[in-house]
Amino acid sequence: MKKITIQRISDLATQLMAKGTLVAPVNEGSGFNFREIFDAKQVDLNFYNTLMSPKSAFFPHTEDFVRYDKNKSVLDAQCVELNLKPVFLFGVRPCDAKSFEIMDIHFSGTGAVDPYWKKRRETTTIFGYAFDPKTPADGADFYSTLGIGAADPEGSDILMMKKGDDLLLKAVTPKGENLLSSLNALTDASADEEKYFDDTVATGKSFKTRFTCVDDKVIAKKLEDLFHKTEFWEKISEACLSCGACTFVCPTCYCFDICDETLFSKGVRRRVWDACMFTDFTLEASGHNPRTKVYQRLRQKICHKYSFHIRKYGVISCVGCGRCTRNCPVNIDIFSIVDQALKE
Amino acid sequence: MTINFKQIEDKLKAEAKRLLDEGKVSIVLAYGKGYDEKHPMPYVARKTSDVENIIFNEFCTANMARYLVRYPRGTKIAIAVKPADSRAVVQLIQEDKVKRDDLVVLGIPVYGMKNFKTGKTIDSKTTCGLYNPVLYDILLGEEVHGQPVISPYGILADYERIGKDERWAFWKKELDKCIRCYACRKACPMCYCDPCFIDQNKPKWGEKSPESHGNLMYHLTRFHHLAGRCIDCGECSRACPVDIPLYLFHKKVAKECEEMFGQAAGMKIEDKPALVNFRVDDSDKILE
Repeated sequence: MKKITIQRISDLATQLMAKGTLVAPVNEGSGFNFREIFDAKQVDLNFYNTLMSPKSAFFPHTEDFVRYDKNKSVLDAQCVELNLKPVFLFGVRPCDAKSFEIMDIHFSGTGAVDPYWKKRRETTTIFGYAFDPKTPADGADFYSTLGIGAADPEGSDILMMKKGDDLLLKAVTPKGENLLSSLNALTDASADEEKYFDDTVATGKSFKTRFTCVDDKVIAKKLEDLFHKTEFWEKISEACLSCGACTFVCPTCYCFDICDETLFSKGVRRRVWDACMFTDFTLEASGHNPRTKVYQRLRQKICHKYSFHIRKYGVISCVGCGRCTRNCPVNIDIFSIVDQALKE
Repeated sequence: MTINFKQIEDKLKAEAKRLLDEGKVSIVLAYGKGYDEKHPMPYVARKTSDVENIIFNEFCTANMARYLVRYPRGTKIAIAVKPADSRAVVQLIQEDKVKRDDLVVLGIPVYGMKNFKTGKTIDSKTTCGLYNPVLYDILLGEEVHGQPVISPYGILADYERIGKDERWAFWKKELDKCIRCYACRKACPMCYCDPCFIDQNKPKWGEKSPESHGNLMYHLTRFHHLAGRCIDCGECSRACPVDIPLYLFHKKVAKECEEMFGQAAGMKIEDKPALVNFRVDDSDKILE
């Protein structure tokens, strides 16, 4: 196990930048976001959680596949190859680290492998960053309900944790181990610190955010039974504006659209995030739209995350980070909806 | 004079109950409990028993006029409106999206509302800064008088001082942050087009990806579609997850519109929307 004083964190950042691309939280005024770091001083770990989820490190909002020129032959079209330097994704909260494993199911786990996702996953080393179980949660998140601890190492290659003025770093995977031993900005941690680290991981397990007793199978079944109870869905969606804020900030929403975008003769075929909350998401070429109403779209979102996903893949497609709740313009809270569904 | 939110809440409940009981309306658009006290939600009361769930506090910022166009024409609706929201109702009546006769407007004279995301007080910097609704059937509380009258355009002073190039750079930087979640247009009571131009693909007006081209296309077109129509409630800016100061542009356009045509959006029910109404003495400044 290693450590560094938080004041000297830019030394660590500088070393990582020399080895590859560093993506870390940056204070942007309106909130923190993961950005590629060009100045080591920008790295700032004084945040609760970032505004946008770190999913964009592997699944960017826009991903170019093919570039072409309309005046040239189809054969001249160029596939976009990813040439990545090693990437260090720094400061990922445990619940977000967990989200990558859920996203893996869709991008590399069910037969079809997405080469862009896979390549990004392979080249990236994840520095997890534990929540402090001694300070209360911010009120919107509910990861403990989903069985995720405040300091869980799962999903990270290296787990980091604050202890006073120090930052403790412990390798979780061999990839993390190799990297840690090559960073000479770090010093060895003492046995006391090692004990503190393990204790915090353990206390993190029993840390309670908003909590409801939820059994995956029970909630999946409940929502399935409620699916045709239109009154319920109409009631809970009455406030919903049907914007895409919740899905875009979500770490486990993975829907996308493939579209061609051209400027004069130059064109690019690209993947762009899409959202089930948009009316045109399900619009078919015939003009038919199976989900024209707000309640149908919100129902799809909730049931996909908490019911269909469990039935198909065995896990809830939500990590309880609370971003959807925090960013909803009308304060719709997915946790409360699930809670209400359980009480129906 | 301070605003007694509890008193407004009680009156809102009483009026909602009476209107539903008497069968005057079939729905009441108001506010209800969210996941905690500081995060209330828009709420629709349909039965007398729903009324007890209605609340009103300083975090009830949503503009309920946004929901009016959701219900079939002819639905009798009671709607709780704060000062800016009442302008949205007026504007929607002017644009014939709702009928005056179908509405019972429950006016709330209020100031000192707070943004539930930041906890900051909302004033004329981001909204129209009125204290009393411009249209109501029933006033919940007493009209506010004696508060300083502040121009909603005061905030523009700094913005207008900067040069054209700098202003362009400012907007490019701000709009580059856009993630295209469309929370702004969905929170806007005046954005009721179905489909919105940006969702059309025949012809395709703008790119879907959140990059400079498409973002500029979307926002600049939306800004102009709201010229003379924006009632300055500030919901778009509050809805924005990435904090783009959309209100600045809307205020600037509203100011120019008011200077040119002598009327602000949604102030008088008998007005026609400025850009719909043609008068021989209209300003030609726009052509210069």
